[in-house]
Amino acid sequence: MSELLKELKIKIVQELQLKEVNPAQLADDTPFFDKGLGLDSVDLLVLVAMVDRDYGVQIFTRELGEKVFITLSTLAEYIAKTRKTR
Amino acid sequence: MNRPWLKHYEAHVPHSLIYPEIPIQRFLTDSVARHPDHVAVTFNDLHFSYRNVNERVNRFAHALLKLGVGKGDRVAFLLVNSPTYVFAFFAVMKLGAVVVNLSVGIQGEELARCLKDSAAKAVVTLDLFAQGVYAVILNTAVETVILHSVFGLEKTLPLEQGMPQPLLFNELVASAGTAEELKVQVSPGDVAVLQFTSGSTGAPKAATLTHKNVVASVLQSEAWIGIRGAGNASVLCIIPFFHVFGMSACLLISVLKGYRMVLVPRIDLMDILSLMETLKTYKPLSFPAVPSLWAGILSLPPEVAREHLSPITVATSGGAPLPQWVHERFEELTGRRIVEAYGLSEASSATHFTPYPKGGPVGSMGLPLPDTEARIVDRETGETECVVGEIGELVVRGPQIMQGYWKNELLTSATLRDGWLHTGDLARVDSEGFFFLVDRKDDLILSSGFNIYPTEVEEVLKRHPKVKDAGAVGVPDRVKGQVVVAAIALKPGAEADKQELMTYCRDHMPEYRVPKAILLMEEIPRDPAGKILRRMLRQDARVSEG
Repeated sequence: MSELLKELKIKIVQELQLKEVNPAQLADDTPFFDKGLGLDSVDLLVLVAMVDRDYGVQIFTRELGEKVFITLSTLAEYIAKTRKTR
Repeated sequence: MNRPWLKHYEAHVPHSLIYPEIPIQRFLTDSVARHPDHVAVTFNDLHFSYRNVNERVNRFAHALLKLGVGKGDRVAFLLVNSPTYVFAFFAVMKLGAVVVNLSVGIQGEELARCLKDSAAKAVVTLDLFAQGVYAVILNTAVETVILHSVFGLEKTLPLEQGMPQPLLFNELVASAGTAEELKVQVSPGDVAVLQFTSGSTGAPKAATLTHKNVVASVLQSEAWIGIRGAGNASVLCIIPFFHVFGMSACLLISVLKGYRMVLVPRIDLMDILSLMETLKTYKPLSFPAVPSLWAGILSLPPEVAREHLSPITVATSGGAPLPQWVHERFEELTGRRIVEAYGLSEASSATHFTPYPKGGPVGSMGLPLPDTEARIVDRETGETECVVGEIGELVVRGPQIMQGYWKNELLTSATLRDGWLHTGDLARVDSEGFFFLVDRKDDLILSSGFNIYPTEVEEVLKRHPKVKDAGAVGVPDRVKGQVVVAAIALKPGAEADKQELMTYCRDHMPEYRVPKAILLMEEIPRDPAGKILRRMLRQDARVSEG
C-alpha cells in the first residue's frame, strides 16, 4: 500500500504537471481539491484516465468518484482493493 | 466588400438571413405554442415541459413585478445552469428588464464593482453564493436578494442592518397569484443582457446586448448548423449560461428549437463524472464544450470515449482554439468533426464557425457567419486593411455586435469604430476566407475556456504582504490550452515559499486563475515605462517548465 501511494504521488504530479508540488512531501491524506492539491474538473478527468490506463481501475460514475477521489489515501486504497479482486 | 468565404458555405446555409423583429422571449412562447409537452429542462430527476417552464417563468415575473422590478431594471444573476436560471432569465426578459450575467466564480471587489456598475436592483443566486453577495451588498443599489436554496444556507447568513432579507425563489413562484402572460411591451431595440467580461486593466466591463443582437446571434448560429426535424432532441448544457457561448448554444438555441436542455450545473468537481453518466443516458444531439473539456474526455480510454461521444451529432467547441490532437482523436473515434466557433461577449456569441458538418482547415477559427463582415487590419492603427496572410487585428461587424460597453463611452468609442468591433485578437485570413487566430493584443490568457487577464492575477498577488511585485503570463498546456504562471519578486528581507503563495492565491481568486507555477525573481522585468516585459517572462516560464 505504501509503495502504491508513493507511486501514485509521483504519477499524479507528473500527469497533471504540478510544478510546485514535490511528491515526496505530499502527505497521504492530502485532499485532491480545494485547499489540498486544488485540482479542477478537467484534472479529475485526466486522473480518471490515468487510473484506468495504468491500473485498469474504472471510476466513471459520480457515486464512485465521491468515495474515491477524496484524498491520495482513499484513491490508493480503492485501487489496491479493486486490483486484488479483479 | 470581398467575401471569399461565401463560396465555402455549406448548401444549407443562406448568405443572408431575415431577422424577425421579436424580443428574445418569443423563442419560448413560440415553442410553448408549438410543442407545449416537449421536455424543456431536465435536471437530475426533474423534468419540466415547455408548458411547465412558461408557467413558472410567468409566476416569477409577476413576483418580480410585485417587488418593484420593472422595465429597464437590472437583475444580476449569480447562477449555475439550473432550472432557476431558465425560469429567471425568461421572467426578466418578459418584464423588459435586463439580465446582468455574472460568473459564479467572482467575489469580493470584482463582484461589488459589477453590482455597482450595473446598478442592479435585484440579485438572483443560489444559497451557496449568498454569503459572497451579502459581503459586498452594502453601498450598491441592490434592494432584493432572491435565493434558490439548495443547502438551506440562508438560515445562517450574517445579515447586517440595512441589508435586505433574502427571499426564496420557490416561495415567490408558489405564492405568485397568477401565471398569466405579462403585458409589458418589449421592443427588439431594448437592452436584454449586460454581459460582464474581464478587462485588460483588471476592471470588469459590461457588453450591452439588445434583444435584436441576441436574436440575430442565435438565428445565425442555428442557420449555420441547419438541423431540421430533430423533435425533442437533447442538448447537453454544461457550458455556463452566464457565458455568451452557453447562453446562445445551450439555452437559446434549445428553446428556439424546442429541444430538451439537460443541465449539468458544475457546482462541485464531481459534476464532471455526472456528465459522463448524462452523456450515456441522454445521447445528446448537441454538445457544446470548451477545448479543455473535449481534451479531458478524449483523454479517457478510447472505448469509453467512443461509447460516450458517438451519439453526438453536433459537437461544438468554443472559448479557445481546439488542439489538433483533440480534433484528430474525436474524428478517429466518431467519424465526425468538432465544429469550432469563435466569438466574444461583445458579439452576443459567435461571429465565426468552421463549416458544419465538414469542418475547416487545420487551425482555422472558421468563416464569418451570415451577415457578418470580418477584416484584418493594421494592429497599430486599426485602419489599414492587411493583405491576405498578413497578421493584424480582427475586426467584425454584424447584427449580433453589442451596442457598446455599459455606461463607458470612452471604452466604447475605442472598441466600436464605425460599427466595427475591434476584437483585440490578432489573426490572419487566407485567400479562401478562412480566418486563423494567432494571438491576443493584450496578453489575455485563455485557460480551460476562461479568459484571464494577467492583471487579475497580479493585483491579487501584489496585495500579499511579502510581495513587492508580480507578473503573470500564459504558457501552453496540452489539455487546458494555456495555464497561468506567475513571477513574483518578494520585498527585501521577506521570505515566503511557493506553497504559501499558492495557498494565498487559492484563498483570494477563483480556482481557474490560480497559477500552475510560480517563479521567484529578484525583480520583475519591466521596460523604462514600467510595463512588464511579458515576452521575457514567458521565456523564463518555459525554461523553468523544461
